Amino acid sequence: MLLPPRNPPSFLAQLIDLTLMQLSNFRWSWRRMAITGMLVPTANIVMLGLFNRDSGIDTLSYILVGNIVISLMFESMGKVSSNFAFMRWVGTFNYFATLPIQRYMLVIATLLAFALLALPALIFIIFFGAWFLAVPLHANPLVFLIIPLTMIPLSSLGAWLGTLAMTPDESNAMTLVVTFFLLCLGPVLLPPDRIPDILHWVGRLSPATYAASALRQTLIGPITPQLGWDIAMLTFFAISMTWLVSKRMEWRNN
Amino acid sequence: MVIYDIEHLTKRYLNQPTLANDDLCLQIRQGEIFGLLGDNGAGKSTLVKQLVNLVHPTSGKICFMGQPLDTNPLRVPLMVGYMPQDGLAFNSLTLGEALYFTAHLRGLSRHDATRERERLLTLWHIEKYRDRTPTQMSGGQRRLMQMAVTMAGAPPILILDEPTNDLAPERRKELWDILRQQHRDQGTTIIFITHDAIEAEKIIQRVGIMQNGKLLVVGKPSDLKAQVMHQWRLELVFAPENPPTLPPHITPIMLDSGRWLLFLPREEATALLNHLDPHTLQDFRLYSATLEDLYLHYVTPPA
Repeated sequence: MLLPPRNPPSFLAQLIDLTLMQLSNFRWSWRRMAITGMLVPTANIVMLGLFNRDSGIDTLSYILVGNIVISLMFESMGKVSSNFAFMRWVGTFNYFATLPIQRYMLVIATLLAFALLALPALIFIIFFGAWFLAVPLHANPLVFLIIPLTMIPLSSLGAWLGTLAMTPDESNAMTLVVTFFLLCLGPVLLPPDRIPDILHWVGRLSPATYAASALRQTLIGPITPQLGWDIAMLTFFAISMTWLVSKRMEWRNN
Repeated sequence: MVIYDIEHLTKRYLNQPTLANDDLCLQIRQGEIFGLLGDNGAGKSTLVKQLVNLVHPTSGKICFMGQPLDTNPLRVPLMVGYMPQDGLAFNSLTLGEALYFTAHLRGLSRHDATRERERLLTLWHIEKYRDRTPTQMSGGQRRLMQMAVTMAGAPPILILDEPTNDLAPERRKELWDILRQQHRDQGTTIIFITHDAIEAEKIIQRVGIMQNGKLLVVGKPSDLKAQVMHQWRLELVFAPENPPTLPPHITPIMLDSGRWLLFLPREEATALLNHLDPHTLQDFRLYSATLEDLYLHYVTPPA
C-alpha cells in the first residue's frame, strides 16, 4: 500500500501559525518588557532630562530618540537573543525542523512576533518621553516604515547572538555588552558634537546609529537627505543579518 | 514497501574519538513496529536523528521511501512524527496550542486541526493540562504532551526516542496500548528507542540491539530467542527452611533466601514441575526467555 502524498502548508499559513506560536513568548516576555523596555528607558529619560533641562531641544531630542533605541534594543535584540538561545538550548529548533516548514519562515515569524511584542513599550516611551522632555513630535507617515525597519536589523542581530551563545545566560551577557557598545558607538544618545570623532566614524558601522537618525527625522523632524541613506543602510543590515541568522541556526541537513 | 533503507551509515561527531554510528545497515518496512535497544551512548539517538534529518551522516546513505533522504527537505517532516527525549522543546506553547499548530502545519485544515486537538486530548486523558506550558508540567505530563504532539496530524510514521521515560507504570501501559491501537487502525509505522525491554516486548515486532555504535543483531524477537536461548526459566519460591529436592544434575541459581532460578530445557522443566512436591513450593513461575534476556545475552561480555 502506498502512503498518500501530503502537501506542505502554504507560505501564508506558515507565517500566520509560526507568528502566533512565537507570540506565545509574551508569557515570559511581558515582565521583561515592563522592566527593560519601559522602566529602564523611563528612568534614563527622567535622569538625563532633569540633568539637561536647559541644554536645548536638540540635546533633549537626542535623549528621547536614544531612549527609544534603548527600548528597541532591549525589546527586540535582547528578547530575540534570549528566545533563540533558549530554543537552541531546549531543542525547540529540532521541534520546528521536524515540521514541514521553511527555515526562513521561522526567522521572519520570530522577528515579526517580537516586533509586535515590542510595540507597547515603544509607544509608551515615545509619548512619555516627548511629554516629560517637552519635545514636540512632528511625526511623518514614513515613521511607520522606519519603526519596523529599525526593529528588523536589531532583532536579527539578537537572533544571531542567540545562535552563537552556548547557553541562555551567555546570550544575555553578550547582548548586554553589544547593547552598551552600540549605544556608545555613534550619535545615538548624545549629539554628534558631544562624542569624539573616532566614535562618530565607528558608529557608521552600527545599525543603532542609522535607527536613531531615521527615528529622529521621522518623529521630530526635519526630514533630510540623510534619511535615504539611513533607510538604505537599515535595509542592508536587515537583509544581511536575517540571511546570516538563517544560515547559522540549527536546522535540517538539506 | 521499505520506508527506511540504511546503507553503511557512519557518524562521527567533531572531536569525538569513537564513532557514534559504525557502518549500520538496516531496512525498516511500512507498518512495522521496530524497537531499538541499547545501553546509554550506544548510538540509538544519533541514528534516529539521522532518520529525521537533524544530523548529517559522516558517510553512508539513508533512503526514505525510495529516495535519498536529502532530495526533498519537506518529505520527511510531512510523513514522520518525531519525539525527541527533551520535553521542554515546545517553549511557551500550551499543550492545546502545540497540538493545534502542529496538526495544522502537518496539513490539516483549521477546522480539522481543532478536532484533532480535542481527539488527542481525550485519547491521552490530558484534557486538564490543555492550558499548561511545559514548564508548568511534571516530567510525566510533559512526556504525554510530547507523545500527543508527535501524533498530531496522524503522520504515517512515528519515531519515538524513549517514549516511556518519566511515566508511571499505568501510563506506560496506556502508552503501549495507544501505540498498538494506532498501528492496528492506521497501519502506522513505529520506530522507537527504549531501555524498557520487558515493556517493549508487548508491542515490538522487530528489534535491533546496538552497542558502541554498532548494530549487533536485527530480527524478530521470537526468531532471535529461538536461535540463542533454548532454555526456559523456572523460578521457585519456597520456605527457606524447607527447600524442594532437585535432581542431582540440576544446580539452582539462588536469587534470594527461599527463591531459586533454574534454566532448563522445555521438556525437563515440565517434568521437574510434575516431580516436585507441591507442599514445599509457595509459588513458581515458568517462562521462556524475555527480550531483556536476549538483550543481555548480546550486550553482556562473556565472563
